[in-house]
Formats: sequence, structure tokens, C-alpha cells
Amino acid sequence: MNREKIIWVKIESGGYYNVLMKLNNIGITFFDNKKSKDWVLIKTTYSDYKRIKKYLISYKVSVYSNAGLQKIKELLNKYIVFSLSIIIGMVLLFLINNMIFKVEVKSPNKSIQELLINELNNYGLGKMKFKKNHKKVEVIVNKILDSNKDTLEWLEVKYDGLIMIVNVTEKTKTEKENEYKKCNIVASKDAKIISLNLYRGVALKEINDYVLKDEVLLSGDIIHNEDVKNTVCASGEVYGEVWYTVKVEIPFKESYIKYTGKNRYNLNVEIDDKKHEIFRSRINNKKLYETNLYKLNDFEINLVKEKEYIIKTKNLTENEAFNKGMSIALEKINLTLDVNEEILYKKVLKKDVNDSTIYLEIFIVTKENIGVLQVIKEEIENV
Amino acid sequence: MMKNLHFKDSFKNFLFDLEDFITIYENHLHVFNYLKLNKLSETEIVLKFNKMSVIINGISLKIKQMTKQELLINGKILKVEFIYE
Repeated sequence: MNREKIIWVKIESGGYYNVLMKLNNIGITFFDNKKSKDWVLIKTTYSDYKRIKKYLISYKVSVYSNAGLQKIKELLNKYIVFSLSIIIGMVLLFLINNMIFKVEVKSPNKSIQELLINELNNYGLGKMKFKKNHKKVEVIVNKILDSNKDTLEWLEVKYDGLIMIVNVTEKTKTEKENEYKKCNIVASKDAKIISLNLYRGVALKEINDYVLKDEVLLSGDIIHNEDVKNTVCASGEVYGEVWYTVKVEIPFKESYIKYTGKNRYNLNVEIDDKKHEIFRSRINNKKLYETNLYKLNDFEINLVKEKEYIIKTKNLTENEAFNKGMSIALEKINLTLDVNEEILYKKVLKKDVNDSTIYLEIFIVTKENIGVLQVIKEEIENV
Repeated sequence: MMKNLHFKDSFKNFLFDLEDFITIYENHLHVFNYLKLNKLSETEIVLKFNKMSVIINGISLKIKQMTKQELLINGKILKVEFIYE
């Protein structure tokens, strides 16, 4: 279809009605018009513009601007660099938002890392590939878990900007050993047994027995008439009283941090785990709080809030120092305890005070799971 | 019977758009098949048709669109007068 170029024609004249009469006389078609004191604008075809120019010789006639599609083309040509930049920018933004530039498998085991990278690649998730939505990722994760039941316990795939992070939990060795090996439960430390639950094997100790480290508590050997009839992997829970002596030394002078309320903002660039501050910091003692602004592979830009602090000292009373020493000792022990384990008893054995320090020796009794799995060595060699 | 239906005239009109008509909308007036624009001013437009002249009176009259056959007049239309020759 031959589409004629539509343009706005400017006719310099104050007589709007005169101009229109003349246009009608020479048979001009127009689609719109505008008027002002000194000119009339006519939206018409290029061929009609030529006719106007030919017949209305007493008026000054010129092309005012293009109209319609022609105007869009003209604008695009005029702002070609800008338009191209916008288009390229949009494409880049789309790519950056939807592509994976790095895959991080959170496992120290290299074979697991390789296995997962290959498996994910097979399902179209990998470096320089497009991200998939949550539902598709979930399906892929389930498929991978199904096909690697023996090695993988749990798997999660998530995106952090351009990075795909794969969190994985391997099947633990103990679980495998429980399934396949022959083993005993032995004492992990010297203790007095206070509870004993046997699931499999034979109990060699009883409640209130004192046991030494590495002594067998639950045996995997099933004995009948003094003969070993079968060997299994013993399992059970053995809780015992464990005794600790904790020594603590607390000075009466205690230093602490006090924030002055003075904050400064800075930017830092992190390249290959090395941080470079962009502006020079004017604060000497400061705590830093970072917020990530941009991340691309090993390159990061962070906004840093610097909070100034001063170190102050205060004198503790003997009572305060004693309480602090006790809480430190208990906390130290508590950190080593699991969920069902607890401190049963505590007693101060020794307390020495001099001018600047208090020394404490504290006796602590805990309830702990002392049974640990020990694989029977002959079995390992056979396997 | 066939003569009363004006079948020939209707068909000719369908093919060649011979019939002239005027349609009035709010603040607009559409004219089809006019022959000549005799007068044009802010308050009066006079159009010549095949068998009549039409005088349009109004306020702030303007021609919005114009071709050889059609006109679209814009403005407050007060009166349309038909003068048959």
C-alpha cells in the first residue's frame, strides 16, 4: 500500500477563513488545522503541499513538521543514539535480571560440588543460563534428590542477584555406618551413668556404673553361651554425670564500649575479598555496618555506616566480679552442651581475691550424652 | 412495482455515492457531496449542493477537515437553512 507522507504545512497569514476558502477553491484535502494570529497550520499530504505552494503564491508556505508515522521516524532518527542506548540498556537489564553468572555450591566436598553442577546443568540451570522460576526449580531439586538418594539428604537452590546459590546437606557417615557397618557405643569421657536406653546390641554397663573414656557401653556383639553369634551396629543413648573444674580470673577494672552517637557514611569496593574504602575515614574507633548496593561475581560495592565509639573503664565490686566469673564459667560449659544436656550442680571450690583480680575455681557437674559410635575395626578392613 | 423501489437509483447511488446529506452532531456538522464552498466566516458558512444551497449560522465556526467531497464543520451551530433553487 502506498501511504502518502502526511505533514504539517505552515501558511503565514492572519486570515484563517480566507486561506481555507482558497484551499477549498484549489481542491486541497486536509485532516486537521490550527490557527494563530500570524499563521495557519494545515495537516495535509505532501502532494497537496506542493499544490498549495504552486497556487497560493501570495502566501509564505513551508513545511512545519512531519506528522504521524513520519514524525515517529524523524524522532527516532534524531535521537538514534539515545534510542539505541535505551534499547541496549533494556536488553542488558533483562539479561542481568534473568541470567546466572556464577554458581556457588555450599559444600566442602568437591565430588558433591561437581555432581550438583553437572546435574543442574542437565536440567538447564548453570552458568550463563537463564534463571528458572521457583516452581520449576523445586521440581528440578526433587528430581536431583530422587536420583541421588544415597549421597544427598537435602538440597536448596536460590538466587542472590546474579549468583545461584546451592545449599546442600550430604547424608552423614553415621547414617551410612548405621545401615551397613558393625559397631559399638563407647564412652566419650569419664562419667557416672545416670540413664541408659538400648535400641540395638547388648548393654555392658548399668546405671550408677563409673566408666572411663573409650570403655564399651553398648556392644554390637550378640553373645549366647559365651559365643559371638552375630555382630550388629549397637545403638542407644547413654547419659552420664560428667565433672568439670573451671578456673576463671576476673579483673576488677572492666573496659566497655560506649557509642558517641557520631556516625559517618562511606563506600567500599570489594574485589576478590579485598576491601578498599572509597573515601578517607575520619573516625578512629569505629564499628562498621555494611549494606550491599551492587554485586557482580567477585565485585561488590557496599555502603558502610561507621559508628564511632570510645572505650571506657569501670571498677567492679567484689560481688559483681564474683557473679561475672560464675556466669562466664557456666556459659563456657553451657556452650559445649546439646539440647537434652544440662548443668546439674555447681560449687565454688576456691576463691582468691587480691587488689586487682578475683580468682575462682568452680566445680560443675553436667548431664551429657556420653555414648559415641565406634565402628568395629575388623569390619572396616573387610569392607 | 420495480419502478417504485427506485432500484436503479439506489444501486447507482451505492456505486457512485451520488446522494448528498448533512449530519448534525453536538458542535459538529458533517457535509457530504457538496459542490462548492461559497462563503466562510466565523458566523456563517454557505454551501452549494446540486439542487439547493445550505446556510449554516453559528458561533466560532471552523472547518476541521476538508476534502473535495466532504466537510467537517466545528463550532456552536445555531441554524441550518436550506434554500431550494
